[in-house]
Amino acid sequence: MTGLVPIALDGIMPSFKAILRGQGVPPNAVISGRIRTLIGKSLDIFSSEARPCCVTRDVSMGDFDEIFRGEGYNEEQAPLKAIYRRADHLVLFALTMGHEISRSIGAFFGKNDFALGSMLDTVASVAVENSVAYLENFAAKEFTGKRTTAAGGVVLNYSPGYCGWHIGAQKNVFRYLRPEQIGITLNDSCLMTPLKSATGVLVRGDKAIHIFENGFSFCRTCKDQTCLDRMDRLSSADHPTL
Amino acid sequence: MEILDHISKHLRLGDDEMVLSLTKRAIARNIHPKTILDDGLISGMNVVGELFRKHEIFLPDVLMSAKAMYAGMDQLKPLFLKGGIPGRGKVVIGTVKGDLHDLGKSLVGIMLKGVGFEVIDLGKDVAPEKFIETAVREDAKVIGMSALLTTTMPMMKTVIDLLRQKNLRGKIKTIIGGAPITKAYADEIGADAYGFDAARSVECVNALLSD
Repeated sequence: MTGLVPIALDGIMPSFKAILRGQGVPPNAVISGRIRTLIGKSLDIFSSEARPCCVTRDVSMGDFDEIFRGEGYNEEQAPLKAIYRRADHLVLFALTMGHEISRSIGAFFGKNDFALGSMLDTVASVAVENSVAYLENFAAKEFTGKRTTAAGGVVLNYSPGYCGWHIGAQKNVFRYLRPEQIGITLNDSCLMTPLKSATGVLVRGDKAIHIFENGFSFCRTCKDQTCLDRMDRLSSADHPTL
Repeated sequence: MEILDHISKHLRLGDDEMVLSLTKRAIARNIHPKTILDDGLISGMNVVGELFRKHEIFLPDVLMSAKAMYAGMDQLKPLFLKGGIPGRGKVVIGTVKGDLHDLGKSLVGIMLKGVGFEVIDLGKDVAPEKFIETAVREDAKVIGMSALLTTTMPMMKTVIDLLRQKNLRGKIKTIIGGAPITKAYADEIGADAYGFDAARSVECVNALLSD
């Protein structure tokens, strides 16, 4: 699965619910008409300015050993360390919403239009999450028919900078994948431009390899705990399997 | 004064055009700029903060009010400079080195400016030394640091340790915040305050500067 992956805007447009959650609005809260208008406007801007694109590259276990190691700053115990070694396929990916969206967000803040800038920022962030989910599904379909794993296998993504995988590994991801071809660059602190981008590895393997106890040292300071949701979804019947 | 109540009310509603117009009118009536700021703009922003804390309004509402606040502030700033009226103090803020996520930090900056602080926003991926050099040069009494990644959180401790080494702890206070940050972490690394969200960060800075 090496090459450019087309991402259609229709497939990644954020829902109202996800946008409101991203803005910190509690579920079932009554929101004003002006917030609805703001969301509508942000979605329109996103539709006209986002240029989602994605590049992927198959990677061997041996090469990923080196990519994962990065600059040697990973936590001694990190979930991915145990997960990828039990995988039957690894694919590096990088995707972005493009430069125009980031420029627009900055421009709205520059004009003191904070609400619109913030809403557009949230829309773009949710779209990045949706794109990664889209890519997981795309990869799952790509692998269908080629699978070497037992039934029940899934594709999940993991990214440098999270869950004990040090952000320094971005350098190796970039060296191997060359996301510059879709306009993503890396600075000295291993951070990407445009900001609304994501990189990582898609790990294909049996569901069981993705399940872990979230009792690592860094879990104590993690407020998101999104791993729990991911693992819950893995157990649910509607999660796509290979 | 009725006009100040109107400013406060329209600020709560996020009506920047009305706030601009009313502020101009208040200035034309020779109401002291500090009175317009305190009893009109800040008074309105305080209510906004309170409603936000009670979940009666949400972030987009707060940000629309902030825009209205800025519309009024832009009219008052030249008068403050001309009249030599002292501000509420300077705060240096930034996202720590290795982190590019700056929306939360920017929101804190917006809210701080909204209640009259001068905010020096260093942006994102800010080196520890730069926080301190800027605070010293600008005579800022508070440094606010933000991080979204667990891997960049330790940079906050680096800044606090550097302040200690330079004998600036106590003279320059620190407040930290961001998605992975907790009160326990703030206490552990010796930060002076923990900003749970933008509204509470403003309260904390107020408290730090009145200590």
